[in-house]
Amino acid sequence: MTIRTASRLQTVVLVIANILGVLAFAWPFVLPYATGASRDRFDAPLILIGLLVCIGTLLFVELGRGGMGPKTVALIGVLGAAMVALRLPGFVAGFSAMFIVVLVAGNAFGPTFGFLLGAVGTFASGLFIGGLGPWLPFQMVAVGWVGMGAGLLPKRSWGVRIGTLAAYGFVTGYLFGMVMNLWEWPFFTSGSAFAWDPAGGAATNLNHYLAFYMTTSFVWDTFRAIGNLILVVVLGRPLLGALDRAARRMRLELTTV
Amino acid sequence: MSDPALRFDHVTFTYPEGARPALADVDLQIAEGAFVLAVGPTGAGKSSFLRSTNGLVPQFTGGRFRGRVHVAGRDTTEHPPRALADVVAFVPQDASASFVLDRVEDELAYGMENLGVAPAHMRRRVEEMLDLLDIEPLRTRSVRTLSGGEQQRVAIAAALTAGPRILVLDEPTSQLDPQGAEDVIAALQRLVHDHGATVLVAEHRLDRVAGAVDVALGFDRGSVRMGDPAEVIRRLAIGPPVARLGRLVGWDPVPLTVRDARALARTLPMRIVAHASAAGETRISVRGLSAEHDGVPALRRIDLRIGGGEIVALMGRNGAGKTTLLRSIVGVHRPSAGDVLVDGRAPQPGVDVGLCPQEPESILFADTVADEVRSTLQARELPDDPDTILIELGIDDLASRHPRDLSAGQRLLVAAAAIAAARAPVLLLDEPTRGIDPDAKERLTRFLRSHAADGGVAVFATHDVELAAAVATRVVMLAGGEVIADGDPATVLGDSRVFAPQMTRVFGPGWLTPEQVAEAMA
Amino acid sequence: MNIHPAAWIAWATCAGIVAFSTTNPFYLALVIAIAWFVYAACHVPGPTARSFRVFLIAGLAAMAIRTALVFFGTVDANNVAFAAMEGMRLATILVVFGTFNAVTDPFGVVRMAPRRFHEPALAAALALSIAPRTIASAQRVREAQTLRGLRTTGLRSLPALAIPILETGMEDAVTLAESMDARGHGHGTRSRYRPQPWNRRSILCTGAALTAAVAFSAAAFTGVAGLHPSTFPLLWPEVSAGLLAAAGLLAVPGLSRSRGAP
Repeated sequence: MTIRTASRLQTVVLVIANILGVLAFAWPFVLPYATGASRDRFDAPLILIGLLVCIGTLLFVELGRGGMGPKTVALIGVLGAAMVALRLPGFVAGFSAMFIVVLVAGNAFGPTFGFLLGAVGTFASGLFIGGLGPWLPFQMVAVGWVGMGAGLLPKRSWGVRIGTLAAYGFVTGYLFGMVMNLWEWPFFTSGSAFAWDPAGGAATNLNHYLAFYMTTSFVWDTFRAIGNLILVVVLGRPLLGALDRAARRMRLELTTV
Repeated sequence: MSDPALRFDHVTFTYPEGARPALADVDLQIAEGAFVLAVGPTGAGKSSFLRSTNGLVPQFTGGRFRGRVHVAGRDTTEHPPRALADVVAFVPQDASASFVLDRVEDELAYGMENLGVAPAHMRRRVEEMLDLLDIEPLRTRSVRTLSGGEQQRVAIAAALTAGPRILVLDEPTSQLDPQGAEDVIAALQRLVHDHGATVLVAEHRLDRVAGAVDVALGFDRGSVRMGDPAEVIRRLAIGPPVARLGRLVGWDPVPLTVRDARALARTLPMRIVAHASAAGETRISVRGLSAEHDGVPALRRIDLRIGGGEIVALMGRNGAGKTTLLRSIVGVHRPSAGDVLVDGRAPQPGVDVGLCPQEPESILFADTVADEVRSTLQARELPDDPDTILIELGIDDLASRHPRDLSAGQRLLVAAAAIAAARAPVLLLDEPTRGIDPDAKERLTRFLRSHAADGGVAVFATHDVELAAAVATRVVMLAGGEVIADGDPATVLGDSRVFAPQMTRVFGPGWLTPEQVAEAMA
Repeated sequence: MNIHPAAWIAWATCAGIVAFSTTNPFYLALVIAIAWFVYAACHVPGPTARSFRVFLIAGLAAMAIRTALVFFGTVDANNVAFAAMEGMRLATILVVFGTFNAVTDPFGVVRMAPRRFHEPALAAALALSIAPRTIASAQRVREAQTLRGLRTTGLRSLPALAIPILETGMEDAVTLAESMDARGHGHGTRSRYRPQPWNRRSILCTGAALTAAVAFSAAAFTGVAGLHPSTFPLLWPEVSAGLLAAAGLLAVPGLSRSRGAP
């Protein structure tokens, strides 16, 4: 019986997909635009959606070829259920307990698993609360990234592992909020002082965006950042212990990037 | 001479982190159409054996595997489990955890979808299976809403739709009530007798299944002895009460069914007069208790008085109100009328009354068994001495093990230790013997007796008639939220048709345990 | 005749495109009204029906916030009108999604995933069906631990609550994975037990929605006046009968209901 390792192609695809993802989120800063009245506001979101459709297809096609296998599907099902169950309780401002699941599972099972779990769990919890909104693809990818990053953290010792995961949870609490805001920003602010200026350069837009962010989302995200930190510190070790045991027992042969 | 359905050629298997082989030089053949029973203590290799028939061992589990297993002619080391789905069906112990989809129909079709069967053919097979397992009325139901017995039958049907002729089940009746168990065994017999399927079952609860099988496999520390069921059971010193009686009085072959035992029971001992056991002072007083569950009345004006030293078995169909009554006594379920007093006042949950829940693993969270007990001791500010309670339950040798590595029976004992460590005088247990092996059951019984002997009270809800017969001093039967019978076991169980223990069925009311009968016969 | 889930996705996407392409309050109001009508005609009874109300409220909130943001800059009638129209566009998109959520069955959406997406879709379906059990398990664990005398509030109590749930979940995952493996998961090309047919109604609804989307996209591309009413200076918005009719096509799912059938 062999352990499957990530193929070179899979790694390349994953990297490209994520670069495209970053572009999709960051297009307000990056895509140059000629000033023009109505066409701007119509084309831009279509490009965004188009990029995301590409990413989604690429990722899932790649997975479809390799196959997830019954163990991965079952684990994502069970952990996804935990994410669904944790979406709402303890909900204070931006904090959602469901992040702890992605953080520990990504850390225990690897970045590919973390990404898959983040995306699928977010999708399922959207279905569960009857809320498939236009933000969902973005949210899936963003939560997926949180999970993916958690899988890339060092595990040299328990202290290092919990410490880095806690710090990571804190930082991503803010990053997640910032990234989710990016897609709202141009629609919310055109015509105001924070507006996205197609003719302005990246610097101007960045300034405008940060100002927008500070007044809207910052407080919200602070709750999430602190919540993640606390949960990792309190629950990280026992949860990771349980997941490590499960991984050993199931002899998980997941592709690792 | 047709090929055997299963062939094991000198198979030795060790788990990746196992110290000793789980299967040691297993060499046997099972013919087509046989109904085979795998018996033996926990950890002897039954589970590994079952999983070797479809390739889960070694392809899913990993480990060191020597020898060859051929199922319907296919080598399990050359075919992954998914490639054997059309020849061998596997049904795990916990059917509800194995469901993939929501509706019964869709669940049945899942296996065939995997194998790319054409839709028209799939529809036909689904209809066949619905009829075969007698689950047609359930076809559009959600699997989560079914009873245990129904779920088990759906799981069996779902595994069979892909067409396999070999069916392997891991303790199918362990979590079922008597009716559910009946239905499952009857379905298996139909499969064997009417449809020529080969069925392999591992079981601890042998009362019903032992008499139905043709061949038994006795497991002992990894090695297997194949033979006549009566012989294998006698040799392993396990079995239904009639078999235990047979061993005690020296019958050979030991009877496996009530019918066999009746034929052998020539001498009829004198009738025992049932006498009420003298109970101590009243410790639990339930007066006019009515309670609701999910808006529906669950208990109707229950009156009950239980004294010190009593061990009470609470019995009745699923939904009769047993769990609600237990929860009312412990003080977490608020009554809609009436009250419950423990030692004269309203019970303090966990302090006056302890409750071991239906799923014992729902409370296990520590790294070691000793730590598990310690957390209760610390919470109740009792001295840090986990070993005392562990010794009382006979599991002090497990003190440094991780609770999740243990068998179902051992886990139950650990949970009971964690609850009983609080030293509440009243101890309640909700279906404690579900899925546990005879050895753990024995330890639990001993503990309950010593708890009662110290003046405490034990009340347990159960479907296990033999447990009630063996240890209870009193039996209370519930139906529809009301008490319909309350008295000593000999009378109450002797009166009941459904809940009569095997000794009663053979010798008449008043006879409860093999030991009792053997003593009277001497 | 039920509408295929893919047709609903097409409808929601096209309605979204129509809303995206304009800030004209008359067109948007029409789309909102149609979304409400389709919801009323086609919603699946059950918990998902309330999601329409949730999205409606979210839409109104989005509109209010968007308009309020104007007060960070210069406040005049033009800016306020502009912001209100942008807000209304957001609200329309949200209401469309509200309808989509209320008319589709979550399991249906997942089950009709194309073959390549079968495994992630299955994982999502599993998460949905296991979730109620996880929640019930959490309540049981909490009660049982309380009875042991352990704290069930505060941070210290979390390990005693979270670990049993996770460990049991892991064990269930093993049982599930074994069962799936033994039933041929991943064997080869799959077939479908009850393929959802692309019936006439689904085709009709999809066609109508596509037409509406194409009409509005073409109008946007060719810069038809009235799609983005001028606010500098503030003028009454123009409407064209053609585009109104095109938007009206989005009501086909509600209009094509046969009597009595869901």
